[in-house]
Amino acid sequence: QISHPASPHRRMAAAKENYRVELRAAARQLGDRCLYSAAKWAAELLVGIEPDATPSQSAAMDTPSSSGAAPGGRLLHLHRSGGSSFRRRMRPGGGAGSEAGTPLGGVSYVSTPIPDDDAFDAGADKYLLAKTYFDCREYRRAAHVLRSQVGRKAVFLRCYALYMAGEKRKEEETIELEGSLGKSNVVNQELVALERELSTHRRTGAIDSFGLYLYGIVLRDKGCEGLSRTVLVESVNSYPWNWCAWLEIQSLCTSSDILNNLNLKNHWMKDFFIASAHLELKMHEEALKRYERLMGVFRCSDYIQAQIATVQYSMRDLDEADMIFEELLRTDPFRVDSMDIYSNLLYAKESLTALSFLAHRVFLTDKYRPESCCIIANYYSLKGQHEKSVLYFQRALKLNRKYLSAWTLMGHEFVELKNTPAAIDAYRRAVDINPRDYRAWYGLGQIYEMMGMPFYALYYFRKSSHLQPNDARLWIAMAQCYESDPLQMIEEAIKCYERAANTNDTEGIALHQLAKLHSMLGQAEEAAFYYKKDLDRMEVEERQGQNFVEALLFLAKHCKSMGRFEEAEHYCTRLLDYTGPGKGDCKKYITRAKTSTVWVSTDGYRSFCVVNLTSR
Amino acid sequence: RDADFGALLELTPHKMAVCHLVQVFAPPAQQQQAPPFPFDSVAHHNRLGLFLFALTRSCEDFLEPPLEQLLRQLKAIDDLVNGWLCEQLTTTLAGLNSPDDLFNFFDKLRGVLTSPEGGNVEDEFLDPNSQLGVFLRCCILAFNSMTFEGVCHLLANLVAYCNSADASYDLAEDEDFNGEIEMSDPMDADIGVRSGVFDRYTQGYATESHMGESSSSLIHAPISLHNFDEADIFKAEDNPTCLRSRWQLEAYLNQQADVLEKDPSSVPLNSFNNTMTQLQTLAPELHRVQFLQYLNALCHDDYVASLDHLHRYFDYSAGMQGLFSRSLSPHQDNIVGKYESALLCLGNLHCYFGHPKKALEAFTEAVRVSQMNNDDSCLAYILGAISNLLSKIGISSTVGLIGSRYSLGNNIGLGTPLSIQQQLLVLLKRSLKRADMLKLTSLLSFDHISLAKFDLKHVQRPLVSFGPNGSTKLRTCPADVCKNLRLSSHVLSDFGTDGLSIANDNGSFSTSWLRNLSDASSSWHSSSTKPRKLITNDFDNFHFHAQPSPIPTSVLQLAGSAYLMRATAWEHYGSAPMVRMNTLVYATCFADAASSSELSLAYVKLIEQLAVFKGYSAAFCALKLAEEKFPSSTNSQIHLLKMQLLHERALHRGHLRIAQQICDEFGVLSSSVSGVDIELKTEASLRRARTLLAAKQFSQAAAVANSLFTTCYKYNMQVENASVLLLLAEIHRKSDNAVLGLPYALASQSFCKSFNLDLLEASATLTLAELWLALGSNHAKRALSLVYQSLPMILGHGGLELRARSQIVLAKCHLTDPEFSVSEDPCAVLDPLNQAAEDLQVLEYHEMAAEVYYLKAMTYNHLGKEYEREEAAARFKEHVTALENPRDEEDSLVY
Repeated sequence: QISHPASPHRRMAAAKENYRVELRAAARQLGDRCLYSAAKWAAELLVGIEPDATPSQSAAMDTPSSSGAAPGGRLLHLHRSGGSSFRRRMRPGGGAGSEAGTPLGGVSYVSTPIPDDDAFDAGADKYLLAKTYFDCREYRRAAHVLRSQVGRKAVFLRCYALYMAGEKRKEEETIELEGSLGKSNVVNQELVALERELSTHRRTGAIDSFGLYLYGIVLRDKGCEGLSRTVLVESVNSYPWNWCAWLEIQSLCTSSDILNNLNLKNHWMKDFFIASAHLELKMHEEALKRYERLMGVFRCSDYIQAQIATVQYSMRDLDEADMIFEELLRTDPFRVDSMDIYSNLLYAKESLTALSFLAHRVFLTDKYRPESCCIIANYYSLKGQHEKSVLYFQRALKLNRKYLSAWTLMGHEFVELKNTPAAIDAYRRAVDINPRDYRAWYGLGQIYEMMGMPFYALYYFRKSSHLQPNDARLWIAMAQCYESDPLQMIEEAIKCYERAANTNDTEGIALHQLAKLHSMLGQAEEAAFYYKKDLDRMEVEERQGQNFVEALLFLAKHCKSMGRFEEAEHYCTRLLDYTGPGKGDCKKYITRAKTSTVWVSTDGYRSFCVVNLTSR
Repeated sequence: RDADFGALLELTPHKMAVCHLVQVFAPPAQQQQAPPFPFDSVAHHNRLGLFLFALTRSCEDFLEPPLEQLLRQLKAIDDLVNGWLCEQLTTTLAGLNSPDDLFNFFDKLRGVLTSPEGGNVEDEFLDPNSQLGVFLRCCILAFNSMTFEGVCHLLANLVAYCNSADASYDLAEDEDFNGEIEMSDPMDADIGVRSGVFDRYTQGYATESHMGESSSSLIHAPISLHNFDEADIFKAEDNPTCLRSRWQLEAYLNQQADVLEKDPSSVPLNSFNNTMTQLQTLAPELHRVQFLQYLNALCHDDYVASLDHLHRYFDYSAGMQGLFSRSLSPHQDNIVGKYESALLCLGNLHCYFGHPKKALEAFTEAVRVSQMNNDDSCLAYILGAISNLLSKIGISSTVGLIGSRYSLGNNIGLGTPLSIQQQLLVLLKRSLKRADMLKLTSLLSFDHISLAKFDLKHVQRPLVSFGPNGSTKLRTCPADVCKNLRLSSHVLSDFGTDGLSIANDNGSFSTSWLRNLSDASSSWHSSSTKPRKLITNDFDNFHFHAQPSPIPTSVLQLAGSAYLMRATAWEHYGSAPMVRMNTLVYATCFADAASSSELSLAYVKLIEQLAVFKGYSAAFCALKLAEEKFPSSTNSQIHLLKMQLLHERALHRGHLRIAQQICDEFGVLSSSVSGVDIELKTEASLRRARTLLAAKQFSQAAAVANSLFTTCYKYNMQVENASVLLLLAEIHRKSDNAVLGLPYALASQSFCKSFNLDLLEASATLTLAELWLALGSNHAKRALSLVYQSLPMILGHGGLELRARSQIVLAKCHLTDPEFSVSEDPCAVLDPLNQAAEDLQVLEYHEMAAEVYYLKAMTYNHLGKEYEREEAAARFKEHVTALENPRDEEDSLVY
């Protein structure tokens, strides 16, 4: 029974120990199958688990040779007991926050047994040879060595080697076959054969989760996305520690509907996946919440830190994200992953030195990574050297043609260079890679607006605001199009500004414009309402300027015309703090008002005053 | 840039085969025989040349044909030398086994182009600037600039290319022609076959892209998938997908665009999209494909997709690929293009989908941008498009849609606000002037037609008039209409003088030549007993219908539209023979180039004429034929015509419930947006008023007609006003309110006069006569003179109904005239009545037929002929009962 009376602390320690055991085995198994990046991820996470206060002896003693069977058995037992009492564990009392083992939904995790590796049989030596070949990137040779092996592990490695060989050839052919009409879509030549073999294995049940993962990738490359998703889900349900498989699923989840309809077992790895998928789908709050929970266990994980920083950057919480990234770089100075986001952040903060420092660092670490090129390009862009920036973006795109943000950012650079056709082309390619990239849509709209085609631009702004309805900037851009001289569609502009004002319009453009447009249309009441709102906002933010004066002036006049003299006087008095065209009028008005208040001491004069004032 | 030249084609095995044949055609001239070695005559030699020329230009598909198909086509020529060419070709290609062989192959090719040493200019060798010479040079250049990897790929493709043919070629050697014939299924223009071809290429693609749906079937039936996949690999390995050269691809796309324009219903939306997507994966930088996708979506009324494709196309090409690519000369390409044409297309899109306001916004922006970019020809096109829009949608003259808020009024250059019609006129004239200046022949012709359309329906007033304007003549000017129509037809003679004719060779000629060739060779196979004479002369192979016209389609279309416009004009002016003649000219001479909507319009006109002059049974017979030609689901014009005919017949037969039902259907058809589908709306309420009139609900009918009149007045539809006024007069006459009817009839008459609507005027005069008659017998003389006045026009050009009506009125005039005695001149009454009875019999018009027989019975009674009287009375009773107790109402919906 899992709920034996134990202190939360000990229970947590036990849970952590379980994670360690699982990840340790996973890193080894993944590495053994040449799934390098998944193994890397598992190992990183393993180190990321917060060390126990009192290191458990058993964990230290867990030697690699024994871990194959023993932890598996233990987990199987846990699985059974957990499964039989599959119930909600509500913990109303304290300690719920620090309880690491509880997933977000309150449903207990389903633990999965770590599968046994194939027993070391006669083929083991050949497998070893094949793996060394694979490590040396001699894929076809590796596949050839394993040609007559039937063990699942051997079959997987052979197929995987073939796949990699095909991929390598594909990359080469893409360059070789580039014609005048562009790069034609070269396909991996091995896909058909692989698909046939793996589907046969799947039908006969002679396939393990790694084979399923490979099958999923093959299907995705062939364009069978639905089936690919199913197969990948099957794979992660039987072997959840393969992060690459999760990433593939994530890339196939283009909407939250698809995400919610996945039939996933509730393993703790699922939390990582869901969080990452939420981030991708721009559901930032949900992602952040989940990552913060995961931090409870994996306190030292750089991965989670980087993800949190990314979320915070996306939520425009720059300072917080900056801190996390800095910390990350301190602990892992040779890191390149997610550093492009850090560079974007530094760009947004306009901190040139930090950006140059970062660029220098990644340049020394590995200059031929798309991220590195992107960082350098960002640096040049901030420096105002847009030609060089474009050059580096182009290099990044040569390394990875599907590097979305590079296309968009290059579009920005082309805008700076006033090369509109190139900018439009770059943005359009970004949009075609991911039609949900609202930034590129927005960029397209902006360009067309700049070219004096506001009506044409509206299509793009509509697209972007449809994808990101809570972003005030997009609505404001659309409103400005409607408001522009050639269109003059004021009513539509007002509607857009209203949307903007209802979302997080931090710069307060919407309120001001709303007030202005309403007063233009002669709707004084509405105008006054928005001026007042704008005034309040500026007061809260302690901002002053032309808009402030304008609001005061309008309100003063409006109140005066409506006969609310005290308010009018109030606004006038405040207006006196500013220099401007209205100042003289104000002074006059106030002196008049003051004298009128003297007169108003008796009721009989009131009507006289009102008449007098309104006549001015 | 030097890349431009190499960019024309990619080297493929098929092109190498053609290169080899060129070498055979023009050997590196050492021997000086008159026809080179394998050929036995100059004609034979020329045939190969023609064949090669066609191969380099044909644009049937975007993929190159497999070797097997090439060999089959070659056989038609090869026949005389007993397959020497085919064999030589296959052995040569099969002999290329190493990269070095390829180098040697192209080295030898170079000899073809250089003139023999010491030879003089008259010697036969290939002109490097001829079509084949350029082709050869492109191939050699492409090979020279190839990397070693490229050479390896070419070699691999070549091996696959040769292997693919081996099997079927051997089959042919075994005299087993069955398989062969099946393969050589005539690549007809027939869309069914073509879509089959599409499917063949796109099958793999389609199943993959829709794998989401089919994944379940994949799990359940993996074996079948397996088989399919195997076939797929087989295909992929044996038949390397090789694109044709760029000019062929562009010609292919233009051809597809023509097909789309001509008859969109024949192109299935999805399979066409699949083909285009496939082409796009093969050539991602060929952005014109997206434009084709836009056209496809537009033709199939897919608003969202067409908008997406439109924006994508112009984003990618940055407008630089231009739109009007038919002119090959580069400087013309650059004239139209860029972003203003994006706006022009966007405006047309909105116009097509019935969003006049959005369309106008787009056009205004287009005007601004093209002015900014000094793009005069685009501006001319935009002005043409705007005038098209303005004439299409009804913009109420009271709402200043353009004048005030929209800056178009200022662009026109006249500060004062103009009525919509005046703006239209100014725009048209301006567009005309620009088109004339820039020598845009097609636009010029289009503008002339538009002007003719304008002149037909509008009185031209001076834009600015000073002083008393009594001198202005308030009439339309038929001479102007004729002049404009005549001028618009000049496009036919002018197109040779400017760039249009050079651009004409778009490969369609070559395509159909090749198609015929394979047809001929397959027919030869199937009937090998037939004398071989069949293929001795190439031109025997031409089927007449497959021969492309030397005139570009767009020019033919414009010229055809002028004829249709002429027919419409005569419809207004009231000359039935002229309508028939012009429509027939259109339907016989321009049917090939016409789009399905225009052709169906011609059919509609002809059938309408039939209904008016020959009665309903003839019209419905013709309608059935037309419906077979144009499936009714796709063609609204035919559908409308059917409803009109059914409504008329129901009214005549007195089946009012059916008539009402059809009226209701009419009302549903039009769009709910005000200003859109204005003609349909007018038609619907006109028919409603007539139905109410037939049901003797006079006040309601008058109310409907009155509101229709205000609408027409608001939208400035003066021609329609004339008929509405006439209807009002009719309503008042039938409700025994002749005094009220008189002013309406007079007003209608004067409208007709000022718009030169002669036939309608005659019918208004007739109504006037009837009204006078209704006022009492002392007006009979006046009525009679009015009838005599209108008779020539009516008898010359009027339909059955109008003629019968005039005869009846004539008889009535005589009968009511107190000075006229029937016994003296019975023929003066009986003749017209008999004539009318005959006409009305055809029309099944019970109400009027009853009137005729009543009058006849009265006359016979007067004359004392009892037998004839009884007979007429019986017929009268027959018609009255048929009218009052309508039977078999459902029959009215059947034809």
